[in-house]
Amino acid sequence: MLEHYLSLAVKAIFVENILLAYFLGMCSFLAISKKVETSIGLGLAVVFVLSITAPVNWLLHTYLLKEGALSWAGLPDLDLSYLNFIVFIATIAAMVQLVEMIMDRFAPALYLSLGIFLPLIAVNCAILGGSLFLVERNYNLAESVVFGFGSGIGFFLAITTMAAIRHRLRYSNVPPALRGLGITMLLTGLLSMTFMAFSGIDL
Amino acid sequence: MRSNSYTLGFTALVTIILGIMLSAAATSLKDRQLLNEELDIKKNILASLKIAGTSGSKASAQEVQQLFTDNIRSFVVDKDGNVVAGLSPDQIDPKTMVEVYPVYEKVLDGATSGFALPISGKGLWSSCYGYLALESDCNTVMGITFYKHGETPGLGGEIEKEWFTSNFSGKRIFDDNGGLVSIQVVKGVVNESSSDAYHQVDGISGATLTTKGLNVFIKQDLNNYLPFLKQAH
Amino acid sequence: MGLLSKKSQQVLKDPLMSNNPIAFQVLGICSALAVTVKMDTAIVMTLAVIFVLAMSNTIISAMRNYIPGRVRIIVMLSVIASLVILTDQVLRAYAYDMSKQLSVFVGLIITNCIVLGRAEAFALQNTPGKAFWDGVGNALGYGIILIAVSFFREILGSGTLLGLQIIPQAFYNAGYENMGLMVLSPGAFIILGLIIWVQRLITKVEEEA
Repeated sequence: MLEHYLSLAVKAIFVENILLAYFLGMCSFLAISKKVETSIGLGLAVVFVLSITAPVNWLLHTYLLKEGALSWAGLPDLDLSYLNFIVFIATIAAMVQLVEMIMDRFAPALYLSLGIFLPLIAVNCAILGGSLFLVERNYNLAESVVFGFGSGIGFFLAITTMAAIRHRLRYSNVPPALRGLGITMLLTGLLSMTFMAFSGIDL
Repeated sequence: MRSNSYTLGFTALVTIILGIMLSAAATSLKDRQLLNEELDIKKNILASLKIAGTSGSKASAQEVQQLFTDNIRSFVVDKDGNVVAGLSPDQIDPKTMVEVYPVYEKVLDGATSGFALPISGKGLWSSCYGYLALESDCNTVMGITFYKHGETPGLGGEIEKEWFTSNFSGKRIFDDNGGLVSIQVVKGVVNESSSDAYHQVDGISGATLTTKGLNVFIKQDLNNYLPFLKQAH
Repeated sequence: MGLLSKKSQQVLKDPLMSNNPIAFQVLGICSALAVTVKMDTAIVMTLAVIFVLAMSNTIISAMRNYIPGRVRIIVMLSVIASLVILTDQVLRAYAYDMSKQLSVFVGLIITNCIVLGRAEAFALQNTPGKAFWDGVGNALGYGIILIAVSFFREILGSGTLLGLQIIPQAFYNAGYENMGLMVLSPGAFIILGLIIWVQRLITKVEEEA
């Protein structure tokens, strides 16, 4: 059983990296990966928020929105799954706000370093995408915890690696028109290719 | 800065309007969506049984329904291969009924000419769903289709493509002694001179893990139908 | 274009040329690339984004004098999410095959930075008419890039366009092979990087590394 979760985590982190294989979270990835420190901050914030929102949205979907989910309330025929998107995004926004407040109160140092990224994250597609994928793939609660955490780590890895590469890139002679966005895209392509090499792993 | 009651009132109003709009849209479109899903499944059953006019998505809804009622007789078998009387496949409730298996029989001029059996299981990322159709000898594969999966487009996603599925036709699921070997998707290309070639189909490059999953669940599902297949044979 | 005033024309054309949303504002690339393996999905995605962006801009602009500042983001998100749900429902009812292929990526239009970005930056300050054209223009600019990427990925990766075979069979017989890389995600990144490069060579815009 443990093996199953381990293999799911490895898939979410490497093979099926939410950023490099599914293109989710690109906006913040491109904007923030200029500096190593900030990219570590954003990466940690994403890990944090994804690990929380994935199980919470799973619970909401299973006990509130799914077809027949409301049978405990005596409404077995009700199907609210069309409200998925709006409930998920609202939950994410609310969770981010909540995390922000709790952090501010109990871990001010952490808040100071991560705080500015939290609002950015509410509209990060990696977070919403994570929730949508776990519905699409019929994960159970434990699997969605592992998947949420793993996807977060995957994002963290990708963004810090890219920040490190871009840091080195300052000393290289890139054609002017390719500087910035263009070269970052090409590098992301190479990075994504590297991560694909993991797909040969048989778990 | 506006007053709190204004903010609350405004939010409530927006929520109510959007809520009503969405519920109205979802309810009014629900029937059509369910019909689409049903049609999609029927189309796949027809396609796996090679019934003309269903390849691609050109056939209209009415044609599909018509073809389905004209050509297909559906029933349910239990784990011993006996037909369960008075039960049709769409009445199966997966939560309460186990070990009942739907069969879609192709009837041509009053005689049986094939059976389509639902197959499903884990590919690499996702659950794959499809139909495997056998000829009336319950051994030779007539066709196979996949109608739902979440595999990588271009790699595992190729399982739904014609070039891959057409290789299944004509292969046999039993060996000469009547043992079930199912169909194996191999890595690379089938060695035609091998004595196992008639159980094997060409693999998809870059999608070995998806096809491994396929090999496992096709065999499992065929195993469930084994008593029925022996009887019908 | 007689229908449009000069001003509206400007609003529509700006994002299409020099101010292209993908290549310049780095917005909204997220949900876009995964559907660019085939051109038909990219086109449907573009249509969906045009609808959502134009409608959300119009609606939010019409409400701009009434939205309380404190809850503005969540109100805008609700409007956008509702429009996306509507699009998803309609696709599932009338274009079932397409909606199966687009799967979760229709839902991800909600977090497409362009949609919220245009609502915040344009719709809140302008009249509904202008906001509508701004939405259409931005969505078109985004769609052009999306379709361009899918054009290269489909023709190089599968040898087809909109499902029709383009590369003649004779090429395959002579040993030509489809480029598997294009079908995979690195292909999308590389094509997009090259498109940005070419676009910047033409527009002569440079960025600090």
